[in-house]
Amino acid sequence: MTTTVHAPPTTPESTEPERGNWHGANFPTQIVVLTGRSLRAMLKDPQIVVFSLLHPLIMLTLFSQVFGKALMGSIAAQTDSYINYLMPAILVTTGIGAALQSGVGLVTDMKNGVIGRFRALPIRMGSVLIARSLADLFRTALQLVILLLAATALFGFSPEGGLAGTVSAWLLALLVSWSLAWVFLAIASWVRKEEVMQSIGFVAMFPLMFASSAFVPLDALPGWLRVVARVNPLTYAVDASRDLCLALPVGAGVWSAVGTSVMLLAIGAAFAVRGFRRPL
Amino acid sequence: MTRPPIEVDHVSKEFGRFRALDDVSLAVPRGSVLGLLGHNGAGKTTLVNILSTLSPPTSGTARVAGYDVVRESRSVCSRIGLTGQFAAVDEQLSGLDNLVLIARLLGAGKRAATRRAEELLQLFELTEAAKRPARSYSGGMRRRLDLAASLVGRPDVIFLDEPTTGLDPSSRMGLWQIVETLVDDGTTVLLTTQYLDEADRLADSITVLSSGKVIASGTAEELKAEVGQRTASATLADPADAERALSALTAHGLNPVHDQERHVVSAPVDSSRELAVVVRALDEAGVEVDGLGLGEPTLDDVYLTLTGHSTGSAVRSEERKNT
Repeated sequence: MTTTVHAPPTTPESTEPERGNWHGANFPTQIVVLTGRSLRAMLKDPQIVVFSLLHPLIMLTLFSQVFGKALMGSIAAQTDSYINYLMPAILVTTGIGAALQSGVGLVTDMKNGVIGRFRALPIRMGSVLIARSLADLFRTALQLVILLLAATALFGFSPEGGLAGTVSAWLLALLVSWSLAWVFLAIASWVRKEEVMQSIGFVAMFPLMFASSAFVPLDALPGWLRVVARVNPLTYAVDASRDLCLALPVGAGVWSAVGTSVMLLAIGAAFAVRGFRRPL
Repeated sequence: MTRPPIEVDHVSKEFGRFRALDDVSLAVPRGSVLGLLGHNGAGKTTLVNILSTLSPPTSGTARVAGYDVVRESRSVCSRIGLTGQFAAVDEQLSGLDNLVLIARLLGAGKRAATRRAEELLQLFELTEAAKRPARSYSGGMRRRLDLAASLVGRPDVIFLDEPTTGLDPSSRMGLWQIVETLVDDGTTVLLTTQYLDEADRLADSITVLSSGKVIASGTAEELKAEVGQRTASATLADPADAERALSALTAHGLNPVHDQERHVVSAPVDSSRELAVVVRALDEAGVEVDGLGLGEPTLDDVYLTLTGHSTGSAVRSEERKNT
């Protein structure tokens, strides 16, 4: 036989499904399709990625220029330049900011009716949440890479931990971001109000960011603020990221940051799915 | 399957102490359109949400396409299409991507999904805008895309929740035609609307909701008969003629009223023959008339007749209950 004969299809593939023929995609397909949807929207509208980078880029510029010289003395034990001290913190705070955006995005979707349509489809609601968190995680990963490149090219970021340390800090920041994204998704699916989500950013996140070791060493803070900073979980996430980046002795800090993140992720996911299932 | 595709059996829905639906029962036979008529807050959307599995009833049962909306919600979901009051399309995705997304979630493969999407885009005359993001669509296009999205899986039952609110007349007409095609195809439709003319045009039968209760049901003709009369109204050329016009009409056995702001004298009439009576009466009295019209009963008239109070106060009292 020299030629391949293609048998004509016995039943011509109908473009129109028979009534009720499509019963819903399986769970993994739902997640893949929904994640693809969010990523596609992101690629078509890269402004969102660029715009959400402005905030950390401005912080990076201002802080490195304003505090750089003044703080050299107090951070000398850890690194020899402020940008190296600052960057691991920027990774974490940017990741947290992105996590908050996950929650805001979910509320927006709930409001404009897209979620309503998904609800009336034969799919699991959990896949909508997982897809959003995965797409946002991907976006955050991309943003952090851009930030790292910018810090290296513009401000001479070159941490003692080298590439390996930087990559580990990047991974840690992503884990923290992902776990907090689930916390914010949980809040979003119970609260369902855009204004509330936005104000969490101001009322909770902003003070937490400054009452921590993110931008200055704890010793440089006034006494009462130091107490706040000591119990602020952000301090521990930032310290862990810094340990990895600056090749400082990696102690229990990193593992407790990882453990706390995984725990928050589990709790957040459980509440998010439960809250999200509630009727609109 | 001989059961009607939509069956609602003594359904009530409470939000806290507010009763959004109060013991509602109805059935919609296959291939027909039920018009659910009522003003804002009457409970229309609440009923649609229950039937499309978005929220469970507080009491009572409902079956759609033969499945219980609470216990068999997933089976219900694969057989219904839902077009909400506000077009639920993903603004950032193109029209094509929106439809492909739905088809994929329904379980279609990539190629089948794309083909189904293209087919629907053509049907809804959106092919040229297929690749543009939905946010650039006009209101009418968006509504068409939304309706297309609810038809992707060839559902047995479609819920249209105020599908033409905010649309211009020609988009409205286009949407009506599409709905008629669907029904000819055997699809069962539940349509909520505030407009009597829309229900009149599309619905085989009409159910009127007020404050969560069914206050009337029947065909459009039956409802109108119940509401009774149409209204003849004459715009006076000279406002000073009002008194003369009123007494002339009263003398002919009519019950005229006078709208002082618009200088209109109107009276309920039973037939177009009585319109002639009005004309003659005014002419005999020497009243000069600028315009003459015969008004169809409106939803307000239906409400007024059935509930004994006008819709405005019905809505207001409901708002008070809500707060």
